Amino acid sequence: MATSKAKSGSTGKEPSGSASNGGGHGSGGGHGSSSGSSDNLRLAEVGQSLFVKAAGVGVAALALSAFLGAGEHDNWVRFSHSYLVAFVWMMTICGGAIWWITIQNIVNSHWSLVLRRVGELIASNVLVMALLALPIVLPLILGNPAVYKWADSAQMLADETLKHKLGYLNTKFFAIRFVFYFGFWFWLSHYFLNKSVGQDTEKTDGSKTVVAMRRTAGPAMIVFALTITFFAFDLIMSADPKWFSTMFGVYYFASCVLAINSTLALTLMWLQKKGILKTSVTVHHFHDLGKMIFAFTIFWAYVGFSQFMLIWYANIPEETLWFKVRFVNSWGTLAWVLLFCHFVIPFFGLLSRHVKRNRKTLAFWAIWQLVMIYLDMYWLIMPTLGVDEVPFKLIDLTTWLGVLAIFVAGWAYRAQKVQLLATNDPRLPKSLAFENI
Amino acid sequence: MAAISDVNPFEAPPKGANMFAQITDNVSRIAETEKPPRAWYIAFGFAQILLIIFFGSLGYVIWNGIGVWGTMMPVAWAFPIVNFVFWIGIGHAGTLISAVLFLFRQNWRTAINRFAEAMTIFAVMCAGVFPGVHIGRPWLPYYMFPIPNQMDMWPQFRSPLEWDVFAVSTYATVSILFWYMGMIPDFATFRDRATTTVRRVAYGIVAMGWRGSSRQWHVYERAYLILAALATPLVLSVHSVVSFDFATAQLPGWHTTIFPPYFVAGAIFGGFAMVVTLAVPARQFFGLKRIITIRHLELMNKVIMATGLLVGYAYGMEFFIAWYSGGKYEQFTFINRAFGPYAWAYWTMISCNVILPQLHWIPKFRQNPWCTLAIGLVVNVGMWFERFVIICTSLSRDFLPSSWGYFVPTPIDLATLGGSFGLFFTLFLLFCRYLPMVAMAEVKAFSPAAHSHADHH
Amino acid sequence: MSDEHQHSPAQPSEAPLHGLLAEYDRPEQVLAAAKKIRDAGFTKWDTFTPFPVHGIDEAMGIKMTILPWFTLCAGLTGLGGAILLQWWTNAYDYPWLIAGKPMWSVPANVPIMFELTVLLSAITTLVGMLMLNNLPLPSHPLDHVRRFAKVSDDKFFLLIEASDPKFDDADTRALLNGTHPAAIEAVFEDRITVDKLPTGLVYGLIIVAVMAVVPFALAAKARYTKSSGTRIHIIQDMDSQPKYKAQRENPFFADNRATRPAIDGTVAVGDAREDDHFYKGKQGDAWARTFPSEITLSEATMDRGRQRFGIYCTPCHGQAGLGDGMVAKRADSLAQGSWIPPTNITQDYLRQMPVGQLFSEISNAVRNMPAYGPQIKTEDRWAIIMYVRALQRSKSGNVNDLPPDARASLK
Repeated sequence: MATSKAKSGSTGKEPSGSASNGGGHGSGGGHGSSSGSSDNLRLAEVGQSLFVKAAGVGVAALALSAFLGAGEHDNWVRFSHSYLVAFVWMMTICGGAIWWITIQNIVNSHWSLVLRRVGELIASNVLVMALLALPIVLPLILGNPAVYKWADSAQMLADETLKHKLGYLNTKFFAIRFVFYFGFWFWLSHYFLNKSVGQDTEKTDGSKTVVAMRRTAGPAMIVFALTITFFAFDLIMSADPKWFSTMFGVYYFASCVLAINSTLALTLMWLQKKGILKTSVTVHHFHDLGKMIFAFTIFWAYVGFSQFMLIWYANIPEETLWFKVRFVNSWGTLAWVLLFCHFVIPFFGLLSRHVKRNRKTLAFWAIWQLVMIYLDMYWLIMPTLGVDEVPFKLIDLTTWLGVLAIFVAGWAYRAQKVQLLATNDPRLPKSLAFENI
Repeated sequence: MAAISDVNPFEAPPKGANMFAQITDNVSRIAETEKPPRAWYIAFGFAQILLIIFFGSLGYVIWNGIGVWGTMMPVAWAFPIVNFVFWIGIGHAGTLISAVLFLFRQNWRTAINRFAEAMTIFAVMCAGVFPGVHIGRPWLPYYMFPIPNQMDMWPQFRSPLEWDVFAVSTYATVSILFWYMGMIPDFATFRDRATTTVRRVAYGIVAMGWRGSSRQWHVYERAYLILAALATPLVLSVHSVVSFDFATAQLPGWHTTIFPPYFVAGAIFGGFAMVVTLAVPARQFFGLKRIITIRHLELMNKVIMATGLLVGYAYGMEFFIAWYSGGKYEQFTFINRAFGPYAWAYWTMISCNVILPQLHWIPKFRQNPWCTLAIGLVVNVGMWFERFVIICTSLSRDFLPSSWGYFVPTPIDLATLGGSFGLFFTLFLLFCRYLPMVAMAEVKAFSPAAHSHADHH
Repeated sequence: MSDEHQHSPAQPSEAPLHGLLAEYDRPEQVLAAAKKIRDAGFTKWDTFTPFPVHGIDEAMGIKMTILPWFTLCAGLTGLGGAILLQWWTNAYDYPWLIAGKPMWSVPANVPIMFELTVLLSAITTLVGMLMLNNLPLPSHPLDHVRRFAKVSDDKFFLLIEASDPKFDDADTRALLNGTHPAAIEAVFEDRITVDKLPTGLVYGLIIVAVMAVVPFALAAKARYTKSSGTRIHIIQDMDSQPKYKAQRENPFFADNRATRPAIDGTVAVGDAREDDHFYKGKQGDAWARTFPSEITLSEATMDRGRQRFGIYCTPCHGQAGLGDGMVAKRADSLAQGSWIPPTNITQDYLRQMPVGQLFSEISNAVRNMPAYGPQIKTEDRWAIIMYVRALQRSKSGNVNDLPPDARASLK
């Protein structure tokens, strides 16, 4: 366990000596493992044990899922749907992380700096996501329209409304786009991670890296917005190829932001329980994460409501059919659950600043919202199975567990290799001494 | 002595032994000087001409009926609603600066939030005129409110136009409350510096007897935070409700689920453009360059760029989904916008909203006040045209070709639009003259002198 | 540091002491001073600053305000109010279908629910803040301290009130001196400013308040009483038009009717129906047996007759004129017992009836059949009769009546 002692030498940039929380002193220049705090910054054995456990659970869960999927005897249709829900749920966290690190760089945020490395690690796990995507993408390319009816181009040609979409909804173009999304995300997340880790050992005060990352973040955000939108279109919206909504990319994005803020809160709490970053991340940072969860709960509801209400109001059958299928029988119950449990209850729950500043309550709501995001993805995708009732089964749990565990394993594997705080960033002292009103 | 009197009193450095006193003097002297700068008189004169044109055209319309506008089937909703959405959109930037940037702890907002909020109020006033007069019988506005009447009838709450009534009223009320509350400490400053009884009593009444007690500041700060937290979703909701006016319809080009955030982004885009359009001359002629610095302009330009890109994203989404949906009316609408009889409006919109603001990627442009002003004006034009394109082109060619028609504005339409700027600028220039133009208390609170130790945010 | 006794000239120095005021130049100084006073256990004291000083809440021990609770209550009231308003007006009091949407359209009610929540919350927050802060506060003893005017500019103050139990002239002054202020001054109670509102103003307000009730009282009276006078109609709105409507009174005429009968002995231009054969189906006193000369006996006329027959006659008489139209069939199925079936127009006696008589019966009604004269143009009525003749012929003809090529299609 590499503990680092605080260096009280100041670079002279920031007035040092914050009397308040966490020993925030000016960062020492030029020393890679020096930090602004006396915290443990490395995952070490904790990470190794997490990796092993998570990988084990993940492999086991996925194997069980495959077994259950084969047992359905439906050419993997049920398995694919279940797996897709788990996959897009995981992607809200990973995609949210990529967005999060980009935006923190664009706005030159100070408070979030202590969280940045953790966020970068979650984002760069997109490589694991690309591997996890194979059970969806491979069958598609091999011609099995398990979830996506448009994969059967003969069927598409036969349908008046669908045949013109063949130029977009065909397996070849889908694959090309998919490679582009993940390629771009891989490149972007690794750019930030490498630059950020490189900053730790930079000879000067790290401000050059800050500027470089900010310069990239601007244009990168434009491409990100498009990639996440079309990802949502391709993987979720096209499951019902006749339906369309211009808001859909924004809807998925809202879930991404909610997911990453919840995940960051939970991850940091877990790390602190294991004795890492104990004083660097304070109640003030958690408060801000809580505010973000609160704000984006409202934003998600706003986007979801706008999308629903406009289609409800104009009442055009082409658009309403998608909702009708999702309001029938227990799907309707699930929709009500989403309204109350994904918006109304967390809204009142997260209103108080005391709730946001208390670790236990914040963790509760963070987990709650992550579960709700899963139910949201479930409600979006599962009705494509064509069943009238919500078909919760063990396979849904195992696929979810499998995807999550593999992702965590990937994160733990990578996180062991770097220190978990951007110690050489000139904005670090402000971040450590951050106080929330 | 002669040389000193030639100097623009606003250019001179502010008086004061310390930074707080300098801030007080820099801002208060604008309202306290006997004569405002010459530029103020010129602008005010110009504004009065437009104001007279405005009231003249409104009177003409109310007397003669709305047939004097070019609004006609099929374009049954034209300039008045475009102007309404335009002005409400401009108002949103003020609330964003006051409320949203406050929540994000962007302390640079303190230099501009006061006049941005004032801009919001005046823009909402200009906006509110249009729904009032365009309803055909403007002496019956009480129909819109749930007031018991002799017909025993109630408004139709299922209509987005009714939602608009509540949204805009709420927005106007909350903006005024927020603006007023922010000015209380600054009114106290004016009251305490007043040299005449009239000024002392007038500012004293509106200052409510504020004396800067910390116990009062505590409650005040909490109220400010709560109002900011309320105003943030409010500003999102108001322009969303305005977008619902169109998106709830079945008209191709109108019925798109992305309208709410698209309109909000567009509103902030246009609003910030108006803020910079006002900020550049204001800092120049009122001597506020030390408070509204190049850094402030640069940050505002970045917001303009970001929201402009959001608007561009929405354009792209509409276009893609129109193709993807396979709806031939929807597809035609977008082809028609770009290549039909209103193509001139469409390409004006694209150049002003998407292409020209990209100049701000270059630091030299976004750090130059005059480029800032130029692009601000360009964006304002572009945003007006965006509403025009959405509303008028979609209506002029919808489902049935036999119903197509080309809308041409009448001189009264144009006079009303131009005249509305008269109302806006008159109110704004009066505000500059008599009210605290910059939030002095807030600027002081976040100045370096207030933070001499241990304050990292 | 230095003591200054600065009284405004009109201030009597025998006014009791209100408190001691210390002035500071920098925010850190007032912050440090506040901590000392807080620790010393004073309760009736305050600091005054041109802007909220960071950390002063803690330094003074100010507890979190209850304002957010006001806001929450107001917000919930607004929400509930909005739901109640929209449900009651559109779904209960005057339910009214619009575009097939439910009477109580909850998705459509959401925007206003949100707006009213925010509106009530915001108003309550501002009013609550003013109330909790005791504002407006028109006068305060500090107003007579000249140096205090700088509080809104660049100076910081700390006031300990004499009414505090721990207050002691000398000790408190010493304590304040220990905080190194720029100045300390005694503040006296305000004996100059009149506490009450001027009586003229009070009377004026009462009068205005009473007068303000008058319009509402008048409105209530107008609403709930009856009157024989006409309503006050401010904006005419084309409501009273200077014209006479049918069925109304018109005092210009002896019979007071606005609807005027035709003037005796006159015929409107184009209305002289002189041709009895064409207009009445009569030739002299007898029914006409031939079609009038205005009617061309052509394929076109027959076609027209068929089309018009199909519109006007088939509902009762059926497509073939047998009296089995849809109306007849329905009446049969209802079997209410009062139905007289429509005539089968192919019967013998109608085949022999002169065309003029047929024309008259169609135009002027016969038995249960209403008059079609007002509905169908004269030319069209003759065309219908032409077609009726064709139908009658079709019932009584034989195959040899058909042209040779048409005969083949019957096989």
